[in-house]
Amino acid sequence: MLKFALAGNPNCGKTTLFNNLTGSTAHVGNWPGVTVDKKEGVYKKCAEPIKIIDLPGIYSLSPYTPEEVISRNYILEEKPDCVINVVDATNLERNLYLTTQIMEIDVPVVIALNMMDAVTKRGDRIDAKKLEEKTGIPVVSVSALKNQGLDELMKRGYEASKTPRKGKTVLEGGALAHLIKDCRIALEGQGVENALFHAVKLVETDELEVKSHPASKAMVDEFKKTFKDNTFGDDFEAVVADGRYKYITQNYSSVMVREKTKKEKLNRSDKADKVLTHKIWGIPVFLLILFAIFHLTFSENLLFIGAALPEGWVSLEGTAAEGLFGTEGIASPGVFLTNLLGLATDSITAAVQSAMEAGEVASWATGLVCDGMLGGLFAVVGFLPQILVLFLFFSILEDSGYMARVAFILDRLFRKFGLSGRAFMPMIMGFGCSVPATINTRTLADKNERISTIRVIPFFSCGAKLPILTAIAGGIGVAFGLPNTDIVTYGMYVLGITVAIVCVLLMRSTTMKGDVPPFIMELPAYHLPQPKNLMLHLWDKTKHFVKKAFTIILASTIVVWVISHFSFGWEFLEDTEIDRSILAGIGQLIQPVFTPMGFGSQLGAFGWVFAVAAITGLIAKENVIATFGTLAACIVGAVIDVETDGGIAAAGAMIAATGITVPALISFIAFNMLTIPCFAAVATAKAELPTKKSFNFTLLFWLGTSYAVSTVIYLIGSWWWTVFIVAAVLAAVVVLIVLYNKGKINFSALKFKKKARIK
Amino acid sequence: MPIAVAPAGRKMKVVKVTADDKTRRHLENLGITAGAEIEVISGSGGSIICKVKDGRLALDKNLSTKILVA
Repeated sequence: MLKFALAGNPNCGKTTLFNNLTGSTAHVGNWPGVTVDKKEGVYKKCAEPIKIIDLPGIYSLSPYTPEEVISRNYILEEKPDCVINVVDATNLERNLYLTTQIMEIDVPVVIALNMMDAVTKRGDRIDAKKLEEKTGIPVVSVSALKNQGLDELMKRGYEASKTPRKGKTVLEGGALAHLIKDCRIALEGQGVENALFHAVKLVETDELEVKSHPASKAMVDEFKKTFKDNTFGDDFEAVVADGRYKYITQNYSSVMVREKTKKEKLNRSDKADKVLTHKIWGIPVFLLILFAIFHLTFSENLLFIGAALPEGWVSLEGTAAEGLFGTEGIASPGVFLTNLLGLATDSITAAVQSAMEAGEVASWATGLVCDGMLGGLFAVVGFLPQILVLFLFFSILEDSGYMARVAFILDRLFRKFGLSGRAFMPMIMGFGCSVPATINTRTLADKNERISTIRVIPFFSCGAKLPILTAIAGGIGVAFGLPNTDIVTYGMYVLGITVAIVCVLLMRSTTMKGDVPPFIMELPAYHLPQPKNLMLHLWDKTKHFVKKAFTIILASTIVVWVISHFSFGWEFLEDTEIDRSILAGIGQLIQPVFTPMGFGSQLGAFGWVFAVAAITGLIAKENVIATFGTLAACIVGAVIDVETDGGIAAAGAMIAATGITVPALISFIAFNMLTIPCFAAVATAKAELPTKKSFNFTLLFWLGTSYAVSTVIYLIGSWWWTVFIVAAVLAAVVVLIVLYNKGKINFSALKFKKKARIK
Repeated sequence: MPIAVAPAGRKMKVVKVTADDKTRRHLENLGITAGAEIEVISGSGGSIICKVKDGRLALDKNLSTKILVA
C-alpha cells in the first residue's frame, strides 16, 4: 500500500486533515503539541487505498523535543511515497521554513495550503498557482475543517508519488553553497541516501547528524576556519536559518497579497490576550473559571442559593422524580444528569429483580445479577454524566485556544517549583485520564522535568477517580448529615494539586535536579469551539468508559461477588454470612497494613471492605466504588436494613456499617487518589520513563506518597495536636535538604543510594 | 535592548540572541534570527507575547532578557 505522511508545524491542522481523510476520530486540540505519536489510517477514495500517517508537529527537521524526533525519523527512514506538507496559510513564511527543509529530501512532496478561509477573512489573498511555480511543488488549497479540497489534494499527491523527486535546496545562491555541495558529493560517495539533506544538516552541525557522520564533520570544521560571516561569525546553523528565511521573503512572499488599506491594529485574539494573560488578573481569572467548572459539575446547591429558596420548591416529594432537580438547592447540570441516570438505573435493577423473582430463579443467581453485576456496574456508570460534563468544559477550554495561554501565565509560578509552563498541559490532561497525559509529557524538553511530571500526573485526579471522590463525599453527607459535600470533592482536587506541587519541589531539589528549560510556546488564535470536535471528544470518552465498564469492571465485580459468597471450603454463603467468605479472609489479612491510615484494623466487623476496595482499585479506579456497590447489598442486609442503589448510597451504607470516621474516609479518598494508578496508567508510565530503575522508583514513590499523606490526614484529623509533630518532621526534612544542597552536610549512605539510582 | 523591556506595539529588529546553542537553534527555527522583524504584543513581569512573522510566541522572562532588539 502507498504511504503518505502528513508533516507540518504544530497546530497547523494535520490531525483535522487526517481525521477527515481517514474517517478517524483522533484527538484534536487548539494548542501546539496535541499529537505526540504517529497515527495511521487509510484513505480509500483514490485509485488504490493509501495509508495516511499523521506525524507530530515540527518547526524544523532539527528536533528540539522528543516527539519531534519521531517525525524526522519517519520521513527519513520509513520513506513514505509522498509527504503532504500541511502549511498554515495564516503564518505562511514561518510554515514554509519547514517546507524548504522537506524539499531537500528525495521524496515527492505536495503542499496543502490550509486555513485559507482565515486568510480571506483577514482580507488577504494567496496565489496558490504562483507558489506552485516558485517552489516547483504541487500546491493545493484546502480547508481541513470544512472538508474542502481534500480529494484534489489526494489526487495531486497520488500523481506526484508516481515519479521520484530529487531533493533541491534554496541555499544554492548562499555563502555556504560550496560547502554543502562538497559535503553532498562526499556523502554520495559513501552511498548515503538523501545526501543533500544530510549534507545541509551536517553543515548546520545538527546534533543527530554529527553523531551519524563523524567522518564528514572534519570537512565542515576545516571549512569553518576559513569562513567568516559578518553577522553570524561561524555559527553555520544561524547562517543556514537566515538563508532560508531570506530566500522565503524574497521569492515566496510575493504570492501573498496583503490588503493595503488595513490599519495595523490589534485583532480579536490580541485583545482577548490583553485580559486573559494580564500579569495580575490572568491567574485569578483562570482560578475562577476552574471553580465555575467544578461547581457546575458537582454542586448540589448551585450558586449556593439553596437557603433562599422556598421550602420544597421543586423537590417533587412523593413522585418518582423526587429530588431530580435537587433537594436543598438547585442541582448543577452535572448532578441533574446524574440524578436522571440514577432514576433509569434504579428502575432497571428493580425490573430485573422482580422479573427474576417472579420467574423463580435461584436466589444466588438473582443475587449475582442484581447485587453483584448490576449493583457494581451502576454504582460506577451512574457517574458517567458528571465525567462527561467535566470533560465537556475542559474540551471547550482546550478547543478555544485558552489552555495555551494558561500554560504561559502559569509558567512564572511553575518556575518556582522547578517546572516550565509546558508541564501544565499534561497535568490538566490528567484530570481526564493519566494515560494520554503521560504520553503528552513528550513535549517536555528536559529529561528530569519529564520524569518528575510523569510521577505527579496521577495526583491530578482522573475521570475514573471521580466516582470515588463524589461517592465518598456524598456518603459522608448521607451518614453524618453534612451539607454541601461538593466542597469535600473540590477539596480533594485541591489536595491532589497541592501534593503534586510539594512532590515536584522535593524531587527537583533532590534526585531530579536540572535546569528548567526555557518556555517557548506558539499561541494559537482563539476560535469558537467546534461542536463536531466537542462531540468527538465526548463520544471517545463515553466509548472508552462503557468498554471498560463492560469488560474490566464487570469482570471484577463478578469475581468480587463470587469470592464474597464462597467460603474457603467452597461452600455457598448467604448474604448475612459474608464474614466467613474468602474475600473477608483476604481482606482481614491485609487490613492491618491500612491501620495507620484509619481504614484498617480499628474498624468494626466489616472494616476489611475498605482494604479490599483499595486493592481492586489497582486494576481500574472505578472498581473501588463498584466493589462497594457489589458488597453494599450483603453487608447492609447483614447489619441494617436499608435500600441501596447507586454509588453514593452504597458508600453511605458502608460508612454506617463499619463505623469509619470522617478523617479516615478523607484519608481513604486521598490514598486511592495518590497511590499506584490503574494498570493502564502504570503500563504507560513504564513505557514513557527512560529506565527500569526510574520506573521502579516511581512505583515506590506512589506507594510512599499515598501512604504518608493519608496517614498524616488521618492523624491530624483524629488528634489535632499531631499537627505539631508533622510540622516538626516536615521542617526537619526541609532543613536537611537545604543543608545537603548547600554542601553543609553529607550522608555517605544516601550518596551510595543516589549513585545506584543514576546507574 | 533586551526584548523584555521593549515597548509594546512597536516593530523592531532582532539584533542578537545570546541564549545557549540548543535554545538559540529552536528560536531560529521559529523565525527569531538576527535581522528578523519582531513586535511585543503584551508583557507581564518580563514574560512576553511577541509577534514574529505572522505567529504569536510566548517567551519566559529568562529568554526575553537574552533576545536583544533595536
